Amino acid sequence: MLQIHNLHVNVAGNDILNGIDLNVRPGEVHAIMGPNGSGKSTLAQVLAGRDGYEITAGSVHYLDQDLLPLTPEERARAGIFLAFQYPLEIPGVANVQLLRTALNSLRRARGEAEMDAIDFLEFVKDKLMLLGMDDSFLFRSVNEGFSGGEKKRNEILQMAVLEPQLAILDETDSGLDIDALHVVAQGVNSLRNAAHAIILVTHYQRLLNYIVPDQVHVLAGGRIVRSGGRELALELEQKGYAWLEDKASQADNAADLMEARL
Amino acid sequence: MITPTAYRDALSQIDAPNSFAAARQAALNAFLKTGLPESRQEDWRYISLDHLERMPLHAPEDGLGILPALEDYPGALLAYLDDRLVWQDTSLPPRVLDTLENAIGDGIPAWAAESFGSLAGTASLTQLNAALWREGACLRVPAGERLRQPVFLRFAAAEADVMLYPRVFVHMAVGADAILVEHFLGDPSIEYWQNPVAEIVLEAGARLTHLRIIEDSNLATHTGLSAVHLARDSSYRALNLTLSGQVARHELNLALAEAGAEARLDGVFIAAGRSRTEQHLRIAHQAPHGKSRTHYCGLADGRGRGVFDARVEVQAHADGNDAQQTSRNLLLSPHAEIDAKPQLEIYADDVKCSHSATVGSLDENALFYLRSRGIDGEHARHLLMQAFIDEALGLLDDTGLRDWLMPRLLAGMPRVQSLEP
Ligand SMILES: Nc1ncnc2c1ncn2[C@@H]1O[C@H](COP(=O)(O)OP(=O)(O)O)[C@@H](O)[C@H]1O
Ligand SMILES: [Mg+2]
Repeated sequence: MLQIHNLHVNVAGNDILNGIDLNVRPGEVHAIMGPNGSGKSTLAQVLAGRDGYEITAGSVHYLDQDLLPLTPEERARAGIFLAFQYPLEIPGVANVQLLRTALNSLRRARGEAEMDAIDFLEFVKDKLMLLGMDDSFLFRSVNEGFSGGEKKRNEILQMAVLEPQLAILDETDSGLDIDALHVVAQGVNSLRNAAHAIILVTHYQRLLNYIVPDQVHVLAGGRIVRSGGRELALELEQKGYAWLEDKASQADNAADLMEARL
Repeated sequence: MITPTAYRDALSQIDAPNSFAAARQAALNAFLKTGLPESRQEDWRYISLDHLERMPLHAPEDGLGILPALEDYPGALLAYLDDRLVWQDTSLPPRVLDTLENAIGDGIPAWAAESFGSLAGTASLTQLNAALWREGACLRVPAGERLRQPVFLRFAAAEADVMLYPRVFVHMAVGADAILVEHFLGDPSIEYWQNPVAEIVLEAGARLTHLRIIEDSNLATHTGLSAVHLARDSSYRALNLTLSGQVARHELNLALAEAGAEARLDGVFIAAGRSRTEQHLRIAHQAPHGKSRTHYCGLADGRGRGVFDARVEVQAHADGNDAQQTSRNLLLSPHAEIDAKPQLEIYADDVKCSHSATVGSLDENALFYLRSRGIDGEHARHLLMQAFIDEALGLLDDTGLRDWLMPRLLAGMPRVQSLEP
């Protein structure tokens, strides 16, 4: 479903991603872990199509097409969804307006009929219930004055409405209390099936107790320095990230050495 | 300089009773003495009327204009075309709503004597309107009465190169309550000049909600004045919308003349293409315990240029006043420009005043957020622009006119495809 090959990304003159390889098949859940500043959000934003990131090498294919030339809205219509680490506040745009406009954009792109306001309300109320959110959320401005946990829930609500094929969750679990974590996990698990794939960017292994990943990758210094199963997350929790820094700098040295030889 | 002949000809075509003829002649002479405002004058620094000098401006020739299809107006309506009343749809008696000519034609009645002609002041363009207005409109709401429906005044231009002088007089007697909508528009393919004046008097405890919409041709010039006088405990709420026009200027002079008067002034102005728009507000707190709230939103696109110039003056001994001004502006293109100049002049001690002005551009992060949900860039920008101006549109809900107005407002919003990557 998603093939990332040797991806190098430069932001404002700094190399942030230094050769990412990642292969995600339908139905899989991949966890990406790593210390702050290792490039997790950069990877997530690049996949969603944000401006200002220069792809200096490598490729990304999604459903067998080249993802990189697509605009953010084209990616969304192709089934990619990013739950932001820091969801934006948009005063004056009601949550329900964003949700319905977005869903209808996707439906139009798929050649389906748009949903009118009444049918949509019906549809979205089921989703709200699933996430334990009350109706008043719909009529508030997008994320304005929401608590940290409410913002994260709202991201999951958007995901539940848009039903993406590939969902990327950027630290959706950070700052959540245990109840909210349950809700988020429930939202994600409800999306989980043989056709959908999920990339969970997370700092802690806690979320992985509820959403069990097929693979865990550790990102450090812009590279995936280790991949493994579920147990890798537990190991990380015990050892912390410090030992990775050495690994990352070893990798750097190796790369420098290579360059020096050439 | 336009030859004075054009103005003199225009005056000669008006058959006013003699008592008015002298006043009109005097006003014209006063105008001719000073001429059009020039950029040397502080309030005219950014906008030039030089192009008017080069146009073959003339008074409308009767019967040339073709009445364009009338939109739905949800209320009482007087529709003017080239300064002639061409249509009315109202069940209000003439003593409440009539042409100004009918209302004061036989001499200025006592209830208008104090304000008619004096409230608007003596600036040169105002003098010109006093000399050359034709039928005009008069709204007079009796004491304690509340009009159930809004009153719409539609001032349209249909003949090329006409100069139009709509004049409105509003008298809200003690405790009266009404909604007034002034709508200015014209054939989008022609040049013309509208120079309207509205004088509005609110007696004690009266309430007026006033929507004023400039939707003139993008080749047109609009220079309008609203002058408002508020007596004790009266309330004036206004929404001033400037959606189009090559040059569009609105001046609002408001006097909170007696204790406890309140004003809420909202506005949205849009300058796209190469258009110029200016909003000049003069708010005088002259008595104790007055309150004014100003909230204007400006949008500029292309090479458009906007000016928001608001001055609040709290006069000596006008204690317990509360004045707040907010000017929020959005630039949609690198060549667009908005100058925001909120000013406070305070001569009293016990006052609460504040002002704030911001000029920014659309939030790229918010745009990306919306686009990442599948909403295309153009649509996402529109959502953000709509959200931005919405803060100034509260009166649409209070008056029930949101559904009527939003389509015009959305049509007037800039399309910003130029920014599409
Ligand atoms: N817009 C930007 N401009 C400059 N540097 C950036 C920008 N975005 C991210 N970075 C840098 O890239 C690195 C990786 O950041 P990020 O992807 O947010 O890491 P993570 O999500 O793993 O904490 C950090 O060193 C950060 O400072
Ligand atoms: Mg991050």
